[in-house]
Amino acid sequence: MKRNSIIVFVLMVTAGCSSKSAVTPDDGRSSGQSSSSSSVSIPSSPSGYGFDEWQTGPLGDVFFDYDSAILSTEAQEQLKQNGGWMESNVSKSAIIEGHCDGRGTSEYNLALGDRRAASAKEYLVRSGITASRLETVSFGEERPFASGQSEEAWAKNRRAHFVVK
Amino acid sequence: MIQFFRGFVSGIFAMLFCLVFSPLYLSAAEGQEYIAIRKEGTGNIALVLDKLDAKGRKETRFAEILDATMHDGLDFTRLFSLISPPLNVKDNTDRKNVVINFPALTSVGAEVYAGGVVTMKSDMIILDMKVYEAAGSKLLLNKTYTGTEADLRSVGHAFCADLVELLTGKKSVFGSKIVFISNKTGFKEIYECDFDGYGVEQLTNSKSISMNPTLSPDGKNLAYIDFTSGRPTLYIRSLNGGRIAAVGKSSVSIDPGWRNNNEVAATLSFDGNQEIYLVNSDGTLSRRVTNGKSIDISPTFSPDGSKMAFVSSRNGLPQIFIQDLASGQVKRLTFSGRYNTQPSWSPAGDKIVYTTWEKGGEINIFTINADGSGLVQLTQRSGENKSPSWSPDGEMIVFSSNRLGKEKLYVMNLKGGNERLLLQVDGEQTQPSWSLFR
Repeated sequence: MKRNSIIVFVLMVTAGCSSKSAVTPDDGRSSGQSSSSSSVSIPSSPSGYGFDEWQTGPLGDVFFDYDSAILSTEAQEQLKQNGGWMESNVSKSAIIEGHCDGRGTSEYNLALGDRRAASAKEYLVRSGITASRLETVSFGEERPFASGQSEEAWAKNRRAHFVVK
Repeated sequence: MIQFFRGFVSGIFAMLFCLVFSPLYLSAAEGQEYIAIRKEGTGNIALVLDKLDAKGRKETRFAEILDATMHDGLDFTRLFSLISPPLNVKDNTDRKNVVINFPALTSVGAEVYAGGVVTMKSDMIILDMKVYEAAGSKLLLNKTYTGTEADLRSVGHAFCADLVELLTGKKSVFGSKIVFISNKTGFKEIYECDFDGYGVEQLTNSKSISMNPTLSPDGKNLAYIDFTSGRPTLYIRSLNGGRIAAVGKSSVSIDPGWRNNNEVAATLSFDGNQEIYLVNSDGTLSRRVTNGKSIDISPTFSPDGSKMAFVSSRNGLPQIFIQDLASGQVKRLTFSGRYNTQPSWSPAGDKIVYTTWEKGGEINIFTINADGSGLVQLTQRSGENKSPSWSPDGEMIVFSSNRLGKEKLYVMNLKGGNERLLLQVDGEQTQPSWSLFR
């Protein structure tokens, strides 16, 4: 009986991890805080703030406020983790894609996405990562992650997305 | 074929110019002098466009096509009230000498009468057109237009162009093109159509994302943004030779706008900052125009190229600014609205059209004088209206709107009236840009 309940618990935890991939960045953040073991250091498996169904690689994405390329505390925290991974994987480089939600006009969003990618790169370069290992590109509003017209979907689309090369 | 026809016409024009040099003719050609039938702001010109005369089966068929082409073309401009010809408009009793019944024309309220004859010489179709002022029975235009069957549309429109220029003193929309983006194939590709939505042609097949196509004023080069390389890159494509220059130095290229036939401006961020640069049509950099840490995008130029309007976030939210290219001096243009983007400078130089993203989610089109006065709202309560672009005569604006769900292209007059769908094509159409051909 006791053994069975442990198995059930383990299953719940794994199920919890995979289902969390579909939640909003805010939920992801709070879940990261609640399970203190995963927010202290670099998570062994990608979960929490920077990770969701569109980011399952070793580097987490960072999210932005409306019409902003400013890095929030959570974003800086994630970038620190990304920087740590880049330091211990010196042969790897990454592309940082800037994305925007679909509101406003597409030319401005292309510019805003470029600035989002650039500010993420700037943070990493300042923390010691060689600039040539980080390439930036903007997709503006052209390649949204979440569909739909809601703040939840828009928030998911305002991000700098990391792709390891 | 149309290119050839244009060349043909301009060749004849040059010959005439050499043979019969006349100052009066020259000034008329420059649009200095025109027949002011329509007083400023008094509405449309009342025109009787008479059925073309033709003998023979072929001639009659071509005449009917030309009748429809000219009628639809003139109707599209919304500059005319097209009045049906009164039954007794022509006295044909004397076959050799057709007499126009001017009292009958004035009695139906016509200000101008246009009529003509279609004949053929081997495979060439000859259209002889005469235009009269109805009240004074004065001959205003007497001109012959020639072309093959394939040229019929441009033959009819060549007359329409002359008529509009004669009566308004301004370049007309006839012969102009609109380039735009459509996702009909599942990818955002560039397409082109005539001013009236006729003859849609696909120009790119990159199976990527294309954005912001814009034709050089002479129509010879197309500048646009494309993601084929994996990043938004500025391309300049010669439409005659097909040569394509990629401005590949940049990390990200945004929204090009032509300054003249040889220079296009665009935002390039290869040095880390987004700055607007002037780029030669061969793709080489000419010079940097802006210098700042903010977003600076969407350059559009005054007709003489001395001033540039553009979008900048230097004060926080995006607003439109004007920079004097010689002095570098920058002046903010828009103060109303929290998110103003997509400026386009009018061909006459007096106005700038742009869009405002409103609090309720609507995007609306406004015009403002280049000195910042005279703000006018052109669209309202019709969803998102984007990417306004002037017709070459400055009488119309093409734009995209999602008012009926999918984004489609619409045209309206410069005051926001006569809004109508430009073309019906599958998928969504966005980012229209009207050629200037100036």
